[in-house]
Amino acid sequence: MTQTVLTVDDSRTMRDMLRLALVTAGFRVIEAIDGVDGLQVLAGETPDVIITDINMPNLDGFGFIEAVRSDAAWKGTPILVLTTESDPEKKMRAREAGATGWIVKPFSPDKLVSAIRRVAA
Amino acid sequence: MEAIKATFFQECEELLADLENGLLALQDGTPGEDTVNAVFRAVHSIKGGAGAFGFEALVRFSHVFETLMDDVRSAKIAQTPPLMSALLRAADILADLVEAARSGGEGEDPRTHEMAAELEQLIAGKGAVAPVAVAAPVPTESNDPDFGFQPLAAMVFEDAPPPPAETVWSITFSPRTSLYANANEPALLLRELGRLGAMTVSLDDSALPDLESLDVDGSWLTWRISLTTDRDEAAIRDVFEFVDGDCDLTLSAGTEDAEPAFDVSALLAAIQSEPVVVSAPDPEPEPAPVVAPPVVSAVAPPAAPAQPSTPAAPPADRGDTHGFAPQATIRVDPERIDRLIDLVGELVINQAMLAQRVSECGLPPSSAVSVGLDDLEQLTREIQESVMAIRAQPVKSVFQRMPRLVRETATMTGKQVRLTTDGENTEVDKTVIERLADPITHMIRNAIDHGLEMPEARVAAGKPAEGHVRLAALHRGGRIVIEVSDDGAGINRKRVLAIAMQKELVSPDAQLTDEEIDNLIFLPGFSTADKVSDVSGRGVGMDVVRRSIQALGGRISITSRPGEGSTFTLSLPLTLAVLDGMVVDVAGHTLVVPLTAIVESLRPRPEDVRRLGPTGMVLAVRDDHVPLIDIGCVLGFRTTPPAPHERVVLLIETEDGARAALVADAIQGQRQVVIKSLEANYRQVPGIAAATILGDGRVALILDVDAVVSMRRRDAGRPLDPTLIAAE
Repeated sequence: MTQTVLTVDDSRTMRDMLRLALVTAGFRVIEAIDGVDGLQVLAGETPDVIITDINMPNLDGFGFIEAVRSDAAWKGTPILVLTTESDPEKKMRAREAGATGWIVKPFSPDKLVSAIRRVAA
Repeated sequence: MEAIKATFFQECEELLADLENGLLALQDGTPGEDTVNAVFRAVHSIKGGAGAFGFEALVRFSHVFETLMDDVRSAKIAQTPPLMSALLRAADILADLVEAARSGGEGEDPRTHEMAAELEQLIAGKGAVAPVAVAAPVPTESNDPDFGFQPLAAMVFEDAPPPPAETVWSITFSPRTSLYANANEPALLLRELGRLGAMTVSLDDSALPDLESLDVDGSWLTWRISLTTDRDEAAIRDVFEFVDGDCDLTLSAGTEDAEPAFDVSALLAAIQSEPVVVSAPDPEPEPAPVVAPPVVSAVAPPAAPAQPSTPAAPPADRGDTHGFAPQATIRVDPERIDRLIDLVGELVINQAMLAQRVSECGLPPSSAVSVGLDDLEQLTREIQESVMAIRAQPVKSVFQRMPRLVRETATMTGKQVRLTTDGENTEVDKTVIERLADPITHMIRNAIDHGLEMPEARVAAGKPAEGHVRLAALHRGGRIVIEVSDDGAGINRKRVLAIAMQKELVSPDAQLTDEEIDNLIFLPGFSTADKVSDVSGRGVGMDVVRRSIQALGGRISITSRPGEGSTFTLSLPLTLAVLDGMVVDVAGHTLVVPLTAIVESLRPRPEDVRRLGPTGMVLAVRDDHVPLIDIGCVLGFRTTPPAPHERVVLLIETEDGARAALVADAIQGQRQVVIKSLEANYRQVPGIAAATILGDGRVALILDVDAVVSMRRRDAGRPLDPTLIAAE
């Protein structure tokens, strides 16, 4: 069964890289360019995993995760955040917002898939 | 991957522009958290992408830059003018590093290190928590010491550490409610753990209350695991990385597992076959001896809340029909567009030929064929305009590079300069834009280096110490006009003339008008700087600027007022591909005169034509007199000009505003022609701008009106002075 991953990132480069790695690993990928867009995409899609950046315009990653978690429909959907370095403070904040795990940039495709495997069936 | 790299650099350009614009806005005192955030994000995104592609130098520098921006963002550092100046310079360095990465180098030089050191000082100086070692992976305070992610990751992903000896680990794992709240799933963690080696798992449900008093969101279960693996503790802890703090985890090496266990693979099989209801009542018919089936089913309530909403929605079945963010732009290989433009050019020619053939057949204009042809012409023109619009781009991309240039030039010359730009959204053909950057760069350098005075001199002259350079673009009469003006001292005509005479560019006894003196600076080999300066003296004179503009079918002119400044005006065709022209006959040749130059066409009365000197002739046009120029004579088609009143006259205006009357034998009509470079296909011919192919398939030359006028002027020695004629 093909799993769907929603990627939320304002950087086109990062979206492209995620798409390349995920599609190669057999996932279906849908994209959003910031938190607000991400919530709009969720209105019409049911991804199995959400991967989101933190620094984004309009609605940042923390706000996006909180908004997703506050909706009962998404309470159980794993959310991974992309962070640039292993910044404990940022990870704690992401976790408080409801993030399931994180991926440290730069990531290798293996690292990415392994992180997804750890949170999604 | 290469395609993504290309995307990255494209994105970098946008981000660098955002960065600079944001910093400039902040410098101008535009307050705004949004702007600071946007600036931070730009640096952050560049760093992120650079890391992905392994551009080390770029990552190192952007990291320092980002750290400083983060402090600015959180108001740890005040936005002072020196800080803004440092940030702007840092942005320039960042742009250099991006460029270096694009061209394959690393691009770190002493300037990079100096800048990085300066940024670090700014960070350190304002009591940031810790001065950052450039590539340190953990830049901020570490208030969670046992949260050591980085080394763990290295262990897991960078493959086998040496000790291959297998150890038996005893692990107890008790999730807290927060683990479930963040959508983590114990079964998946156990599956991951199972990848490290042979494993037995037992479930301790002793804390589980009665069903009636069970809180489904609560956490009641503890797993005891015995894992035999050659991996070390870090690798095991890494599995639980995401739930660190959300569970109680104990780890000990050695065999103390007298614990009862059941086959974890059976549980996993259950999970995989029924991904939604994690702990279906009794899917495993052969459970481990000790853990009885009823217990497993009791697991269901607490585990289930982790996935409460998904049961009925197998997501992947929704298909790809919607949900993709619509693509606002598409990327096309420029070669394809060039090819399209060429083809449309051919289409225009072909359509013109067809129209001519049909008209030769003598069909009435109301005939179906003629009407159809009219429609075709209309369509052709629309296609042409649409195709040209594909390549049209705002001049912004060139204008954006200029603030940096101004900063650098100002620093080098010790002058204070403010740059303002206007009309940066004016659209021009991409091919024109690309070739505009160098001339504009040079004109701006020139304006600062030669135009503006030193601050003290400006103050002495009663002007503000800060000089002003203005860069503007606008559309005028089917052309794009670029103006570079400064409020400096204006051209020192005495000095220009002296230099020109010294270099024997003009004869010592020449009498020149102010305008002619100003134009001397465009002569090859002219340079006003007493000594070659860092800035303008790069072996490129204004003559090169003029030539490159002329190669684009453009003109450059200058106006200058002593003490008030100078303005350079570039005028260029919007596109290099087509031209509206007047087709005329001259001495048996067919020529095209660009329509933009023509003010009016007329048949002069004999009494309006007056002689001036042995060969000169002028035409009285209303209250004015303009020189009469026979195109045939200038181009060498004939030696004696015909009587103008027997021919037609095109009243034209050159770029510098001078008027002249060109004599032709007859007018064929107006036509849109496709420009074919004469230089590329033959060689440059004085007085001729380019060539085209007419409807009958013949080649016709396109007249360079300004060149014709100046050739005539040179022949006549001195330009005609209307006051002399009035006195006559």
